[in-house]
Amino acid sequence: MTLQEQIRSNRLRSAIVIFGFALLLGVVGGLIGAALDLRLGIVALIGAAIYGIFALISSRRMIARMTGAQEVGPDELRPLRRLVENVSIAAGLPVTPDVRLVDDPAPNAFAAGLRPQKSYVGVTTGLLRTMPKRELEAVLAHEISHIRHRDTYLMTMATIFAGVIAVIADIGFRMLIYGGGRSRRGGGVLVAVLAIVGLILAPYAALLLRMSLSRRREFLADAGSAELLNDPEAMALALRRLQLDTTSIAYADASVAHLWVESPTSRVDSERRGVLALSSWFDTHPPLEQRIAAMEEVGGFQLPERLPLDEPFASELGIA
Amino acid sequence: MLWLWILIGVLVLLGILFVLGYNRLVRLRNEVNTGWANIEVQLERRTDLIPNLVEIVRGYAAHERGVFDEVTRARAGVQQAGSPGAAAEANAGLTVALGRLFAVAEAYPDLKASENFSQLQDELTDTEDKISAARRYYNATVMNFNNGVQSLPWVLFARPLGFRAREFFSAEGDTGVPQVTFATGS
Repeated sequence: MTLQEQIRSNRLRSAIVIFGFALLLGVVGGLIGAALDLRLGIVALIGAAIYGIFALISSRRMIARMTGAQEVGPDELRPLRRLVENVSIAAGLPVTPDVRLVDDPAPNAFAAGLRPQKSYVGVTTGLLRTMPKRELEAVLAHEISHIRHRDTYLMTMATIFAGVIAVIADIGFRMLIYGGGRSRRGGGVLVAVLAIVGLILAPYAALLLRMSLSRRREFLADAGSAELLNDPEAMALALRRLQLDTTSIAYADASVAHLWVESPTSRVDSERRGVLALSSWFDTHPPLEQRIAAMEEVGGFQLPERLPLDEPFASELGIA
Repeated sequence: MLWLWILIGVLVLLGILFVLGYNRLVRLRNEVNTGWANIEVQLERRTDLIPNLVEIVRGYAAHERGVFDEVTRARAGVQQAGSPGAAAEANAGLTVALGRLFAVAEAYPDLKASENFSQLQDELTDTEDKISAARRYYNATVMNFNNGVQSLPWVLFARPLGFRAREFFSAEGDTGVPQVTFATGS
């Protein structure tokens, strides 16, 4: 499959997943309606919609806060801005995304924004201190690919949906347990039990949907980077460098984990067996080893044992 | 009567397919045009930088006239190029000429130490990077558009409707289109 076809099939998947979210939200509302009161179910859904819209409007600011990304003055970090600019040109983006800096020793990067015009790329100081120019550019191209594929939009939506479902299910669950008998309709015990089980499981189902969405996107963004720079090896090298690095990020807020180029929360991958293997369903990112292997297949090369010893890009920026 | 309805249904369906396909080609063509505009912006930026550069170098190395003439000619070639292929060719020629100019500059330590000179050199390098970035995007859009125009059934209608395959921005025959095929796991 070419990248274009991948993006197309990806769009379809996105639509299905968003539909899945909506369905799940409907089920949660329905369960509350059935077990407690029909009007309550409707109120819950309307409340969910309002909460969702509010979250959508403030998402940009919220993501900046949760990741700790700081705005950078227009004259600072010129060489870095230039790299972002060049990659955006290659991606054909109408506007160059803004650059934000996260003061964190762990090398990582993310992209955010509902529309390409208002997107930004966040990089950690650790990334600039670790990556040489070629690999940094590959990471930036990965993030720009997220913007180009509208992943940032979709993942923001998914995060909000998952959040809304968790909140509504939680409220419904509490009302069922504590507020119980008074408002319960004649449905009986069976309905109540069903509703309780459903409301407990719903947030996990939402999480599962959200994670499955983001794992595939990482592969696609890697491929996008390879295409934009015509250099799959650079992306593979960058991933290897991330793999070898052992510092983990301070802003490991799980709710924005899927935004980063490498999962900020977990570092041990590929070694899980048996029941633990199930936990990989909740991973936001595929194992780095798999992503590197995919790049090697695309480019028809084999990563060398040792990484090139080029100067990290930070030296060009004059930050220690 | 039934046959008539079936006929109408088929015609409506064909009409819808035609509209969708036509709109797709229009979209692809617009992408090509945007891609080309991006390249033109960068080419213009490059040619705009050159008179200043030549002036500065002339100040230190006035007698190297042959190199200046060559750069000026190559610059004019880029400005006059009438097609993407010709522009790419001319641009490659300009790169060669500039390479010679910078080689000459190597022999003049004062020139190399000049703030203006190093700044211009830096800008030119950046512009070259941007041209190659814009080229990658443009060539990718051209390939998508040409695939659309040259495959069935549009290869039959494209020409009468005014869609013509476009030229790549490439010198010496390479298309410069990265071919990334990809099989995802998970």
